[in-house]
Amino acid sequence: MKRSELSRRVRPRDTSTLSLRLWEFTGNALLNLFIWITLVVYLFPLSYMLITSLKTSAQMRDSKSPIWPAHAATYNYNGRSLEIYKVPTSSGERHWALEEPHIKYSMFVDPQNPGLGPILWNGYWGSLTLVYLPSVTLENFVTLWQTFNYPNLLRNTLVVIGLGEIGVLFSSIMVAYGFARFRIPGGKFLFFLLIGTIMIPDSITLVPSFVFYGRVLNWTGTFYPLIVPQFFGSAIYIFLLRQNFKTIPRDLDEAAMLDGAGPLRTLVSVILPQSIPTVVTVALLHFFNAWNELKMASLYLGVRPDLQTIAFSTQTTQSIGSTTEGLQAAALLLMVIPLVVLFLSQRFFMQDMVIASVEK
Amino acid sequence: MTITVMRRAPRNHAPQKLKKLSLRKYSARVGFLLILPWILGFALLKAFPILAALWYSFTNFHMLQPDQIQFIGLQNYLAFFNDPRAINSLIRSLNYFITTVPIEMIAALLLAAVFASERLRAKRILRTLFFMPSIIPAVAISIIVSGLLNRDSGWINELILKPLNLQNSLGRNAFPIVLALWTIGPGFLIMLSAMLNVPREIYEAARVDGAGPLATFVLITLPMISPAVFFSLVINMISSFGGVALLDRGLPYSRSLSPMETYISNQLFSGSYNLGYASALAWVMFIVVMLITLVLFFSTRFWVHFPEEDDNEEI
Repeated sequence: MKRSELSRRVRPRDTSTLSLRLWEFTGNALLNLFIWITLVVYLFPLSYMLITSLKTSAQMRDSKSPIWPAHAATYNYNGRSLEIYKVPTSSGERHWALEEPHIKYSMFVDPQNPGLGPILWNGYWGSLTLVYLPSVTLENFVTLWQTFNYPNLLRNTLVVIGLGEIGVLFSSIMVAYGFARFRIPGGKFLFFLLIGTIMIPDSITLVPSFVFYGRVLNWTGTFYPLIVPQFFGSAIYIFLLRQNFKTIPRDLDEAAMLDGAGPLRTLVSVILPQSIPTVVTVALLHFFNAWNELKMASLYLGVRPDLQTIAFSTQTTQSIGSTTEGLQAAALLLMVIPLVVLFLSQRFFMQDMVIASVEK
Repeated sequence: MTITVMRRAPRNHAPQKLKKLSLRKYSARVGFLLILPWILGFALLKAFPILAALWYSFTNFHMLQPDQIQFIGLQNYLAFFNDPRAINSLIRSLNYFITTVPIEMIAALLLAAVFASERLRAKRILRTLFFMPSIIPAVAISIIVSGLLNRDSGWINELILKPLNLQNSLGRNAFPIVLALWTIGPGFLIMLSAMLNVPREIYEAARVDGAGPLATFVLITLPMISPAVFFSLVINMISSFGGVALLDRGLPYSRSLSPMETYISNQLFSGSYNLGYASALAWVMFIVVMLITLVLFFSTRFWVHFPEEDDNEEI
């Protein structure tokens, strides 16, 4: 009990004693430290992507290379490029360039003192380890930038996301409001039908939907199959929004109704201001989904390279065997980085919006 | 305090001068208009593919021979019971739901609780960084996991196990766990936004009554966000069987993270192109998922709390 008293936010009046403030400060510092350490552990595997993307394809093929981006050190001796090895000698380990490899002995050159000429070292050179120098390459990113038209890919992706976002938010909010607040005959059945549509795997409805979009509507090679369905609401977001709308006390919309507000007015002025975090969550989820969306894009935009989205182009780099892992990692980074930048740069996200709406 | 999922009775949703009967009609009419977009979308875009999939499940439809389609009754469904690999994939999906989904949800809940605290600084950047792994395409995760856990050249091997002279026993088994922990983003966001939606006055009242942080969390926060927890549970359950996932990992049709859906897609794309059998498998999966969903919906009366139900209690 005592700890909990100390750890909760104390009013300015009560903070007269120094020890209380010290307690609070230590608790806060520990919490923040703990979260940052958790974050480092949580994100540690991601560094693999970053580091791999900075390696050359030559290093990816070299199984003895270190885990950081590096190239084997070489020394130019009499016009030949020699590899440098770590050679154990009587006077400690030396970094010498291998000039003449043999089985029982080898001839080395000391790069620091080439005037000495070749040095004889007894032992098998194959048991020695190479010297690597750290070196970062951007060749993967340059290759990708030259292969794909990134500005165009980004534009296509944003067109699909932007229009889809408007449609999915508008319709999902309306439908969720209908399910949450109105007594619709058969509403219970319709709601289970809605949940049911979430449970059917896409691959099963793939063939009939392709017939419908591609053959009946002739929408192959256009953005329509990716955008138009969003205007009819997304079952998963309707479910999420309905859950949220139902937590809002009815007294509030009743008060609005008594004041003469119609259903739409009540939605806009009572329900939505109370649900901003959830609405923003839905908007973000749709954004990320549309950003990563691959199935529809490959099915309907495959015939139009100029309309491809960023996820589709990234996918083409991922076929194992034809490209190096460094290139794959770089392509995936180019796909993730814009999202992180967007996420960090936008000012009104979640809590900021809540505070804004409360202060109003 | 009894709690039900579905609303019991409508309350004044029309101008008061209307009589009770027309009030009900008014509510039904407005509600119907509001859900009309979804009904239209369902009828136009969903109903035909779903009904077609149902019809295929009773036929021997091979995608390479669409002209030889024949009605074969329940044979596809009976074939499921004689297909050990199909049953095994269903069991593995069930296993995934029982073991991995709780880890994912508890991690998301704890993280959301920390983020709801006023003591945490730099929330925006932290939130972004914690969310980030959830939007990484699945291909990237499989590259990362194999890069880290490879028996010969993996990082964990090189950095930790070799110096300590330990055997690498993690292998690719770690993939589902890494994946689960890296999928907490949406659940975290949903639970956090639910926590932020809880009115501050309730916490104030609890504080005045002398409730500590733990009591406040268990007795106030958890019941208040139970609808969001329930939503997360249902969606995670559905996606472990291969329905729609909350966040699309950008996988092509032929690959899925759910064992059951992977098997269905295998039937569909690799080799056999047996759309009839694949459709039947999808409907078996649908029935299993629907049964679990019904059980979960039934269970809500014991643990999911909607404030409006209390209002009904008062009447």
